[in-house]
Amino acid sequence: MIEAKSSSRPEAAFVLLLMQAMLWTIAGLSAIPFALAGEVYMLGLGIASLLLALGTCLLAIGVLWRRRSARRWVLVLEVVCLIGSLLVLLLPIGANHGPVALMTNVALPIAVIVLLRKQQDAFL
Amino acid sequence: MFDIAPDHAIGLYAGLLALPLALIAIRLRPARRRVPGTVLGASVLLAMAGAIHWGLISSHINEPFTALLFLMNGTGYIVLSFAFTWRWWRPASAALLGATLLGYLVYIALGFDSPDQVALATKLLELIALGLVLVPVRGELGRPRRAVRWTSLAIALPVLTLITTSTVWIVSLARPDAQHSHAGALLQATNDVATPDQVAAAAQLYAETKAAILPYQDWHQAWAAGYRPGGGANLGSTHWMNQANVDAGYVMDPRRPQGLVYANTKHGPVLLGAMFQMKHIGQFGPDPGGPLTAWHQHENICVTPIGFEFSLMTPFATCPLGSIDISASPMLHVWIVDNPKGGPFAVDIDDEVVKKIDRS
Repeated sequence: MIEAKSSSRPEAAFVLLLMQAMLWTIAGLSAIPFALAGEVYMLGLGIASLLLALGTCLLAIGVLWRRRSARRWVLVLEVVCLIGSLLVLLLPIGANHGPVALMTNVALPIAVIVLLRKQQDAFL
Repeated sequence: MFDIAPDHAIGLYAGLLALPLALIAIRLRPARRRVPGTVLGASVLLAMAGAIHWGLISSHINEPFTALLFLMNGTGYIVLSFAFTWRWWRPASAALLGATLLGYLVYIALGFDSPDQVALATKLLELIALGLVLVPVRGELGRPRRAVRWTSLAIALPVLTLITTSTVWIVSLARPDAQHSHAGALLQATNDVATPDQVAAAAQLYAETKAAILPYQDWHQAWAAGYRPGGGANLGSTHWMNQANVDAGYVMDPRRPQGLVYANTKHGPVLLGAMFQMKHIGQFGPDPGGPLTAWHQHENICVTPIGFEFSLMTPFATCPLGSIDISASPMLHVWIVDNPKGGPFAVDIDDEVVKKIDRS
């Protein structure tokens, strides 16, 4: 039998943030072959993505430890991601509108926001 | 990889339909109060993944082995989505999710299926479900085996995500479908073999274009005509675009191509060919040479305004920070230098050709 006596929303948010960090890590790594082929700026973007992934991972740990500042920063990050993703999706630039893009760039940030939205009392 | 296979669409509908049903089913079960929310979340995702697998049975009925696998997998997921109070729920769910993820990768690596959006969405659901199954929760009662679960989570989630992404990507790039060429370029649909008329029309287009752009072998003339390089000169070749021609929307006019392509050599820019481009995404241009002059459209490329460089969107739809996912409207290249691998209208110029020009 599995039983719980406190909210597990931070743990659920931790898993989603970990997943997001992994996806950004892959995006960062994907820039490296292009940088090696001569696209020098892609190296910078790749490194920036890897740093973002690392930051997200640290914030995920902060959320797991119920740190109030981590929760605040995660909410800021997810709102920025969501606004950016919606802009890209709404502009007529031929961005991908497939289910995976919607899950990764829209549903995932919304889920994290929903999970942490009313949890301030649970955080230190 | 970025399309929905017609025979997989039903799986997507089944998965979406399962979401409200799974939420209602959980609401109706008093046992939900005895488990952490992460377990309930995983249960919902398992139900969705199970419904997707069940949905795919009907469109794979002619492939009995595949249909049987979908049936077994879907049933396993649905049963586990209900059995969240079972003592062995976590190990059983983690084992089934891991086995399904790895099994799918073997399946596509062996060429039994091609990855598409439904498959990737399912894999994303399964990876998140695996994380929710394994993550220990504060205040959990009983024997939570926290150390084992943390270790499993720390290893399984990153490793499986990385393996899934790289396998899907390699398979998609190594075995593009008939409508896709290199790097996600979507080819215009044409007849299979060029007719004599189409061969003659392609030759005429080539001759007219070559004659019209020969003056631009002197890049100063191209500059004077309004062509400007996009991207760094450290790449093998660079597209020089004429914004006035782009805005005017000339359609395959040999005298006014939207772009020119130059090799970046130690002697300076060397003209490789011209590029015609349509004004709108999805609007392919006239195709006088049939399969010889098929247009192509670059989709799901990550473009950054910094240095105007690009990379490819990952299978899970992410781009490096500072770049955005776009599609470029259809284009047709006319290479005036010998391009033995793809011919005068190929999507790409052979790298070896560019290197040879640079060495000469």
